[in-house]
Amino acid sequence: MKILVCIKQVPDMESRFKVNAAGNWYEETDLAWRMNEYDEYAVEQAVQLKQQVGDADLTVLCIGSDRVKETMKKALAMGCDRGFHIADDDSYLKDPFAIATLIAAYAKEQSFDLIFTGMQSQDRGSGQVGVLVAEMLGIPSLTTLVEFSYADGTVNAKRELEGGIKAKVSCATPALVTCQLGLNTPRYPTLPNIMKAKKKEMISTPVADLNPEASLLEVLQVTPPEKKGGGLILEGDPADLADQLIKLLKEKTTALA
Amino acid sequence: MEYSREIYWNVGHGAATLVPMYLLSFVAVAILVYLFARRIKIYKQGLPLNRTDQLPQRVSAMIKNVLLQSKVLNVRGPGLAHALFFWGFFILFLGTCLIFLQADFTDLFFGIKFLKGPFYLFFSLILDIAGLIAILMLLGLLIRRYEVRPPGLENSADDIIMHGLLLTILISGFVIEGVRMAVTESGTSLALWSPVGLGVAKLFANLDETTLLGLHSNLWWFHLLMVIIFIAIIPLTKFRHIFTTSANYLFTDLGPKGLVPTLDMEDEEAETFGTALITDMSWKDLLDADACTSCKRCQDRCPAWTTDKPLSPMKIVQQIGEIAEISPTTPLLGAIEKDAIWSCTTCRACQEICPANIEHVNKIVDMRRNLVLMEGEFPGEEVMTAMENTEVNGNPLGIAFASRGDWAEGLPVVTLEQNSDVDILYYVGCYASFDKRNQAIARAFIQLCDAAGVKVGILGKEEKCCGEPMRKMGNEYLYQMQAAENIEQFNNYGIKQIVTTCPHCFNTLNKDYRDLGLDVDVSHYTEYLAELLEQGRLKVTPQAFDCTYHDSCYLGRYNDIYQAPRTLLAAAGAQLTEMEKHRAESFCCSAGGGRILADENIGSRISEKRAQMAAETGAPTLISNCPFCLTMFEDGIKGAELDEQLQPKDLAEILVERLAG
Repeated sequence: MKILVCIKQVPDMESRFKVNAAGNWYEETDLAWRMNEYDEYAVEQAVQLKQQVGDADLTVLCIGSDRVKETMKKALAMGCDRGFHIADDDSYLKDPFAIATLIAAYAKEQSFDLIFTGMQSQDRGSGQVGVLVAEMLGIPSLTTLVEFSYADGTVNAKRELEGGIKAKVSCATPALVTCQLGLNTPRYPTLPNIMKAKKKEMISTPVADLNPEASLLEVLQVTPPEKKGGGLILEGDPADLADQLIKLLKEKTTALA
Repeated sequence: MEYSREIYWNVGHGAATLVPMYLLSFVAVAILVYLFARRIKIYKQGLPLNRTDQLPQRVSAMIKNVLLQSKVLNVRGPGLAHALFFWGFFILFLGTCLIFLQADFTDLFFGIKFLKGPFYLFFSLILDIAGLIAILMLLGLLIRRYEVRPPGLENSADDIIMHGLLLTILISGFVIEGVRMAVTESGTSLALWSPVGLGVAKLFANLDETTLLGLHSNLWWFHLLMVIIFIAIIPLTKFRHIFTTSANYLFTDLGPKGLVPTLDMEDEEAETFGTALITDMSWKDLLDADACTSCKRCQDRCPAWTTDKPLSPMKIVQQIGEIAEISPTTPLLGAIEKDAIWSCTTCRACQEICPANIEHVNKIVDMRRNLVLMEGEFPGEEVMTAMENTEVNGNPLGIAFASRGDWAEGLPVVTLEQNSDVDILYYVGCYASFDKRNQAIARAFIQLCDAAGVKVGILGKEEKCCGEPMRKMGNEYLYQMQAAENIEQFNNYGIKQIVTTCPHCFNTLNKDYRDLGLDVDVSHYTEYLAELLEQGRLKVTPQAFDCTYHDSCYLGRYNDIYQAPRTLLAAAGAQLTEMEKHRAESFCCSAGGGRILADENIGSRISEKRAQMAAETGAPTLISNCPFCLTMFEDGIKGAELDEQLQPKDLAEILVERLAG
């Protein structure tokens, strides 16, 4: 069985973000980098599947500068067998369509049985790359999975829908699945696996070799959210709270006018 | 007339006595040696470890602890009883040796007798008193064990055998003496030099001589037989501690105190890390188990045990011993509960008090290492998150690394990136850097240094967690990554002196980092400021206030720094009321051993227990010297609903309020 898991390296969300000079993305200095949270679920599920079927080869794919190799190493330490790095210093300028074409170009040649991706990235949050790849490859995709099982060429899964509703779905492989929070608890790599990961194959291919297509979308401007007035928390017993609220509504708003 | 007595009186000094006596003695010693050789095989299942370096120091440690009973005496009541019993029994042993020396050596071959005259009188008196003290102490310990029965004291068949046999030997010895004296010394002034024997002799005064002679001879052989049994069963019973505990003093850890051995992460041959089986431990770890006498001093002081967690340092050591003896291939963490291993705060109270110099803490850290490095297991998800946070941002709190130096804004301190010409590097640590409450410590320390004219630099965003909580949780790999980056920064800037406000950072930089190549002077701020105070550079105006003071584990037990903080407190005008558990007996706040990263969800809260102890002093302020302690006391005091009467503060905060200005 051939499995692919696509991951993205994203800044830690606790970082202090600044808009870059071009005004179209964030500045990269002083950021700490880590694996996109949803991709960690994807890696974990892919590794679990590999352990389940035994005879499987699991490739981790990542697009970005050389910096992303650190994150790929974590995926290798978690249990992926080999790494495929698409070297692209400007990947942040590519839209989900352009990114998907790169992944699809690689995946087409390899004919994977199953492709795992995160539901979305923590920094761009488009949620499109996985489904676009599936469309380009002409295979079914199951999105936002919170449960996953595989047997005899069939994926059975549960998707998370709005309002806490879940949907049971299934499809035959080859297929692509995108992973949501709650699917699993990603493992902490053991030291022997960290050591082994250092020796695993990691192929780095220049992005140009995969005939990148132009983005369909262009980010025109990135701005921090507008500063809004802080919230106000009222304290006291209910009767007192009501009085406070009426007073505020009278003084600060026209609601009671 | 020359005072003396006839050795082998009544039993005779011929072959009929000597042959069976020496034969029995030889058999007893042979059994002893054979059984110990078997036990040594158990220890040899462990890995090699050099514990025979610095021999003079080792021998002196052994002499001090065996002959002077130094560590035994650290606990007054039973410790004193044991020491007095030991001294009594030891004197009797020496006395027996002298008798043997004269009767079967100096007198036999050279006709020299030294047990005579004034020396004999002295000898006789001392041995009588020694025997009496030994009996009294043994009775006292017997009553303690079976009548008083302090909680946690477990009685086994060993204890009955030991008390029974020793009492039989001692009492039969006095009866033999009394019966002999009833025949040979009745009415003489010589008898006064054996007061206990004289007392016994009076009990037998009415018997006729033939009966006395027969009784004496039978008792003499009985007494000998008891001694023979005693010698032979030493390795089979807790009596073995006579040898194993003495050996443990000889092979003791000579320090630095509390150093955790550094694992070789580059070792390509290593198939396993940490301890899963007893064969992953050193031979000394297995000897430790045999040196344990179940005195439960460690258990009494263990903050985890006393708050109903499944950790008893004593039981862990004993479980290791049982596995090593009975089923050496059994995984340790089958017999030992994982929750016991995770509950340890590495406070070192067990190791500090242990009268057998057993090393509990590193065994636990080594078992954690196996769980973390080989299995990827942690006590909870929150701990795994803290590890990941540290990997990404260099702090367990998960706050952006770039904001690490933000607390220093507006204060008279530079980052070394701006200017590396400073007197000291203040290694801030994660809690003083990021935790709102603890930033007050960092700010206070800077102000104190500024007032003393010390130029302080920090690394700011170039500083990483020292790695101590991760290391003590078992994550040696993450620790070494953090350490390597920190050491590189220290070296890049050519740092000469580092001061920390966190005792965990202090202990780690000052001891653990040495193994990784750091060679810089490291101090904790309490010692550093006490020195500035003494030099007159730091001027503090005393303002009277009442407080109690908490000795943090890593400043106190790990580094024996008890005086400097108290000197600073005195200079600040403190009226210090000590808690019952203070200095080396201090009770952990619960945050050590990486527990700062973990939720405490078994048993009651350690921090609340300590807050209670502080409140019992009646002092309104609880002073500590460690950001972890302060964090725990802020929570513990609220949790124990003591916030109306008790406030936690760091010593630096007290001092900065009193800067002469």
